[in-house]
Amino acid sequence: MTGRTIDVIEAGLVPYGEALEWQRSLAQARLEHRLQHDVLLLLEHPPVVTLGRTSHAAHLLRPDGLEVFEVERGGDVTFHGPGQLVGYPILDLTGYRPDLHWYLRTVEQALIEALAELGIPATRRQGYTGVWTSDGERKLASIGVHVKQWVTWHGFALNVSTDLSHFERIVPCGIPGVVMTSVEREGGKGVGEGSLWDHTIAAVLGGFGRAFGAELRPALAVTAR
Amino acid sequence: MATQVFMEALSPTMEEGRVVKWHKREGDAVKAGDTLAEVETDKAVMDLVARADGVLRQVAVAEGQTVPVGSVVAVIAVPGESGGGQTAPASAPVPAVKGEGGQARPAPARSPARAAAVVAADATRVKASPLAKRIATETGVDLKLVTGSGPGGRVVKRDLEEAGRREKGEVRGAAAPPAVPPQAPLPSPISPALRGGAPYEDVPLTQIRKTIAKRLATSLGPIPHFFLTSEVDMERAAEARDALNRQLGDRGKVSFNDVIIKATALALTKHRACNAWFQDDHIRYWNDVHIGMAVAVDDGLITPVIRDADRKALLDIGREARELAEKARSRRLQPNDYTGSTFSVSNLGMFDIDQFTAVINPPEAGIIAVGAITSKPVVADGQIVPRRRMRITMSCDHRVIDGATGAAYLKTLKEMLENPLAMLL
Repeated sequence: MTGRTIDVIEAGLVPYGEALEWQRSLAQARLEHRLQHDVLLLLEHPPVVTLGRTSHAAHLLRPDGLEVFEVERGGDVTFHGPGQLVGYPILDLTGYRPDLHWYLRTVEQALIEALAELGIPATRRQGYTGVWTSDGERKLASIGVHVKQWVTWHGFALNVSTDLSHFERIVPCGIPGVVMTSVEREGGKGVGEGSLWDHTIAAVLGGFGRAFGAELRPALAVTAR
Repeated sequence: MATQVFMEALSPTMEEGRVVKWHKREGDAVKAGDTLAEVETDKAVMDLVARADGVLRQVAVAEGQTVPVGSVVAVIAVPGESGGGQTAPASAPVPAVKGEGGQARPAPARSPARAAAVVAADATRVKASPLAKRIATETGVDLKLVTGSGPGGRVVKRDLEEAGRREKGEVRGAAAPPAVPPQAPLPSPISPALRGGAPYEDVPLTQIRKTIAKRLATSLGPIPHFFLTSEVDMERAAEARDALNRQLGDRGKVSFNDVIIKATALALTKHRACNAWFQDDHIRYWNDVHIGMAVAVDDGLITPVIRDADRKALLDIGREARELAEKARSRRLQPNDYTGSTFSVSNLGMFDIDQFTAVINPPEAGIIAVGAITSKPVVADGQIVPRRRMRITMSCDHRVIDGATGAAYLKTLKEMLENPLAMLL
């Protein structure tokens, strides 16, 4: 047993700006050692476009009244909306490996394992951080992170049943011609009665546990403030 | 003294980094910990953080520019100082800056600067081992603030580990008297009194004693304790234990302490309000039950943790308790062995203590103090009969547990101990 524990907070539908505040205060608490354990925030956002630090204005094609945030994560422009599972790991990487490339690859690994559990073979694509279908043609999940003194925030966005037409308003991740897809569209399914959403959450938690060698457990009464 | 700010490596294989945004401008006052700039590689952005207070001078790299790891990107000067050039170590020239897409080859990485991405110019006076310096850089610890225990006060790896644990509040040594009896009289650091010699002897505080002092002062002072005592009939628990031990034969033995730990944990599953941590602005109610068990060690005590004690068999609890106690006495406990408990038990029964109050092990909200099992005359069915009885006292953090809440928990614990079958249900 490694003794690494990640408290999982399933927060439901949270406006982007509010979740951003949560993340920043959780990360600050973590790096000041006021938080005992690492945290994984799992949530959905109402429709919103965010621009990472390497965004090009031209990649935002039709904002059409959507809220737009410019934020401190790596990467280009992306879209968040209902049906997309957004995960913000607040991890102290000194407890793992102080290595951002290792971290990006391990988040990818966690999602690849989760997708395998849902029956979708997925893979990495050299030079394009994110998780792709096994032929490397369609993108299932985007990743963009920030780290301060080895504490991470921001994270990943996995399309579960997202309305993919929203991605037509942007050049996702700044890669022209990229085709976005979702767990639903790729025919992913879990075992048993639960919804695809619940199966995906369970699979993602399992994937993170294995990829990071950590115990993930539901945290109660952990608030951002 | 000026402090140079270097391009840091975000991963061991990274050779250069791109400054994507400056948060501070030349002339801005900065404090240690402030984000100076953001550096990007791949899909990750990292804050470049000031390691010293002062004024930002000589911003050498513009937004969008890429420079090799180890390059000086800025200098933090003390107010009034013009810049860092004259105080910078001669070995750290400012390398040529390469624009995005430029063809210039990255300057050969200087290995000390690569490993030690940010080094305060005035930190060179700190004596530290190379490994300690590397750990300090990776974890952002200021070596000047670490007391060295190596030769000549040199900072070595274990000092940093110690400092890190202290900072994270992981040295959760002390709570209360021991739950597991010392097997031999504990050696004392205090020599037997010498009559006719000096009137007193000053013994410096050992590390564990300092930790105990610090942690207990954060408990009984700030935490509003209250105490609840209940007398438990242990007759049936004793019978059950004897029967179990007969069944087990040479496969192991179950002690009263194991039974008490198990019952404490099981009762907590029915009273989650008591299985909680008080934290600055919230209460964390734990789903899992991890019982801290106070163990006496040389010159101190420590509370190793039996994880998921509610779900473990008595025999497993017993085996683990003995292993942990042994590790504690031989100082082989790993931080993982003594951190993360959600509630604690302290047992002084073996010292013939009838009843006592234990000090809460923060951030936990409660602890059970266990007294000795003694035979007492008790009225049962209208007759006076001898029964084995034991007094348990619960210390509660009133910020988490109210009187009735604590009393309800203690009642469940008493019922479980008095009807050990209830533990199987």
